Amino acid sequence: MSWPASPVKRDRLIALVLGIATVGWLLVAEKSEGFGRDEGQYMRAGERYWGWFEELADNIKHRAAARSFSQAGIDRYWGDNAPDHPVIMKTLYGLSWRAFHRCTCMGPARGLHPIPVRGRHITLPLFARDSTAFRFPAMLFSGLLIAMVYLLARRFVPRPAAAAGAVLALAQPHYFFHAPIACFDAPITTMAFAVGFAYWKSLRSAAWGIGCGAVWGIALGTKHNAWFMPVFLAAHYVWMRRDDILRRHRPPRIPLAFVSMAALGPLIFFAHWPWLWPAPMARVHMYFNRHLQHEHYNFEYLGINWNNPPTDLAHKLIRTTFPFVSTSLTVPVTTLALAIWGAVVLLRRRRGAAVVEGGAPEAAPDGARPSWLRPGADVDRAPGAFLATQIFGPLCLLAVPSTPIFGGVKHFMPAMPFLAVAAAIGVAALTRVVAAQVRDLSRPRVLRALPAALALLVCLPAVAETERSQPDGLSHYNLLAGGFAGGASLGMNRQFWAYCVAPMLGWINDDHTDNRRMYWHDVLGDALHMYKREGRLDMAVGDTGAAEAGIQASAMGLLTWEKHWAIYEGWFWESYGTVKPAFVRDREGVPLVIGYKRNVR
Amino acid sequence: MVLAIVETLSALTAPLRAPKPKDWTAAERDVRDGFHAGDLIVAAPAWADPVMRMHLGDLIPIPTAGRMDAARFSRIWEIDQRGARAPEARGGRVVLERHHGALTVRQIERAAANVSYDFLARWNDAQVSRVDASGTALPCPYQGDRFQCPQIGFNYVRRQLVEVDTALRWALLAQPVERARVVIEFPAVVLGREIAIATGLSNVWMRKAGKGPVDLTVAIDGKPALHVTTLNESGWLISHVDTAARAGQTAAVRFEVSSPAPYARHFAFAAEARS
Repeated sequence: MSWPASPVKRDRLIALVLGIATVGWLLVAEKSEGFGRDEGQYMRAGERYWGWFEELADNIKHRAAARSFSQAGIDRYWGDNAPDHPVIMKTLYGLSWRAFHRCTCMGPARGLHPIPVRGRHITLPLFARDSTAFRFPAMLFSGLLIAMVYLLARRFVPRPAAAAGAVLALAQPHYFFHAPIACFDAPITTMAFAVGFAYWKSLRSAAWGIGCGAVWGIALGTKHNAWFMPVFLAAHYVWMRRDDILRRHRPPRIPLAFVSMAALGPLIFFAHWPWLWPAPMARVHMYFNRHLQHEHYNFEYLGINWNNPPTDLAHKLIRTTFPFVSTSLTVPVTTLALAIWGAVVLLRRRRGAAVVEGGAPEAAPDGARPSWLRPGADVDRAPGAFLATQIFGPLCLLAVPSTPIFGGVKHFMPAMPFLAVAAAIGVAALTRVVAAQVRDLSRPRVLRALPAALALLVCLPAVAETERSQPDGLSHYNLLAGGFAGGASLGMNRQFWAYCVAPMLGWINDDHTDNRRMYWHDVLGDALHMYKREGRLDMAVGDTGAAEAGIQASAMGLLTWEKHWAIYEGWFWESYGTVKPAFVRDREGVPLVIGYKRNVR
Repeated sequence: MVLAIVETLSALTAPLRAPKPKDWTAAERDVRDGFHAGDLIVAAPAWADPVMRMHLGDLIPIPTAGRMDAARFSRIWEIDQRGARAPEARGGRVVLERHHGALTVRQIERAAANVSYDFLARWNDAQVSRVDASGTALPCPYQGDRFQCPQIGFNYVRRQLVEVDTALRWALLAQPVERARVVIEFPAVVLGREIAIATGLSNVWMRKAGKGPVDLTVAIDGKPALHVTTLNESGWLISHVDTAARAGQTAAVRFEVSSPAPYARHFAFAAEARS
């Protein structure tokens, strides 16, 4: 394949390569990540949603398609994991599993599927494990994100810096951990970026004005974070068109993108989710209530266990710092430094000027006049304000003390790819400074290689930190914090939802006697089923159930270490008569999972 | 650029700086060689405690792991890493220090409190009753593993492991009840220079569910000596009653537990008379 002559095609090719490389890296990494309690549920729901399509095909064959659209026909399948989350990703996970798994479904794990297995599945067996097939769409979404980060960054900076920005968007330990799993946090990060990008393009393109509404509709079907996105966009829009208010003394026109979002967004949201169809208003109400009244799960931050909204001023202030401190302790420090440098460049930029030399911004349409169809055609689009609203919007939302913080970084992850774009601008600025030095030395060959070399150099720490963090990205903290150990010493959250037990499955499988009475703590049935379906867990391994009674009935068990689970360890001590664990899974000395055996002294 | 290089090197070398299994094995050998019954073993930072217990947990009885504090321990083994020090070992004299890779083992000796009466160890000596608003006392007899008060299932006093402030404590659990006081009286306590009393609310789910304060009143031979109010945020609070003037004497010590809002109040306490 030859290098395309057109700069636009070159950029698209680079974006494609970055996207494919992202999927490749995630495919290599995902196998070591266990199944969390949420992911197990989404895999189960995805397979069940597939069951609806299977039944629909049967019903069509029997000329009874209406049965699949009755309330009973819908709720039997789509009632799973409702009203918690809309279903675009779960449906994709289910379809991907059905299409790409290597079927061992008629074997001993046949009964562990959430829908009856009628016979051997005919598939395109791309993946050896069921879970990889479930997870594949999430990885594709990450690939799409990284490609888009490159393309947006390319509007502002030369290719090497834009590519560095794309790598820095992926090589963030917490994001990277979430990227390949069959959940919604990485996909909604992709969709937040897609909505932002579509909006950015809509400022000079009416077609993208309409497209933005469709993209937002898909975001609404991905996760509820999407409902806040218009607020962040509106903040930028008002700033961009501030002269309308300040000089012309009239409000800015409502742009096509917002009209399109208002029209297409709810339509797509409703159309994509069959569970809403039998009782639209009541069920949308249930969906909103589910999230407006969401319980505050336990979460450690700065040594405090948070499980209620703070009531006193001191705790409210500490709680407000959560997204900012967490960002500063989880994103690689070099990436943060470059993003700050990028922010300085954007702050110093004059209206209408290029962000840095070498970017490839879209030209303003000829004869640009104020228009609701292309509302950014006659004004500077304020890229600094755009990135600021997209970065600080999600962070500020999670800074409100009454919002639950149990998901940690994942809840404001949509800010991170925009932060990476700011970092790309920082890379370009760094390149410019270093190039000026090299120019003095009159070494043209060095000068030519410099942008790529610097881009590579600034990506190294992020890639190294990300590789180091796997498969325990949730427990990882950056150089400022002091890594795994520093995070633990600072009282930062260590993990949640028992993703961390996968490396202990061998220890459990090896004990053929005691593991029949195994206590699993926070590893729920859906995850156990998936481990067994994949042959990673012996089919005979038992599950003694929940809490103190489960421990009392067990011969061995594990405890995923989180601050609020201490009482569970006390139940082990009392029931097993010892404080001595049989096994501790740690990262760099920091305990993640504690294994007990009743008869070990 | 320098930052990028430093961060990269740090990421690559950090795993090498963590303690290795052989470091722990060597540290374990040191402690086992010199360990005496009644010694305390601690890890620093505290988050390394489970790894330390995996190696030496058979030397740590449950009451020691859930200790009220470290005042009674004169010999402490500290296994530390990354320059951290255990608060339990503060103020002592280091009599042995050995380095094993990323770990340091220290044996520390210090003046310990002499416990003249351990209320937890002697909890069977207690007389428990529930006193209602009119002053009527209902006795709570010892039944199996607890002092059980009549009519209200959760109205009992029991020695058990509790979780207070997300740490495990060996304590007496005494939940307050509506419009009454739970009274736990120890009739013959040998007093020292002070009584140290630790109080807290167990457990994390109850602290999430309830908000009410719990009042503890301590009286010695009928005279009020201490009043402590425990809230969700109080943690494991240690209070001290000065009994120096009566050191060596025997007295009745009475603990009264009550709350104006007793819902989900799993009050726990431990106490020692000390010199």
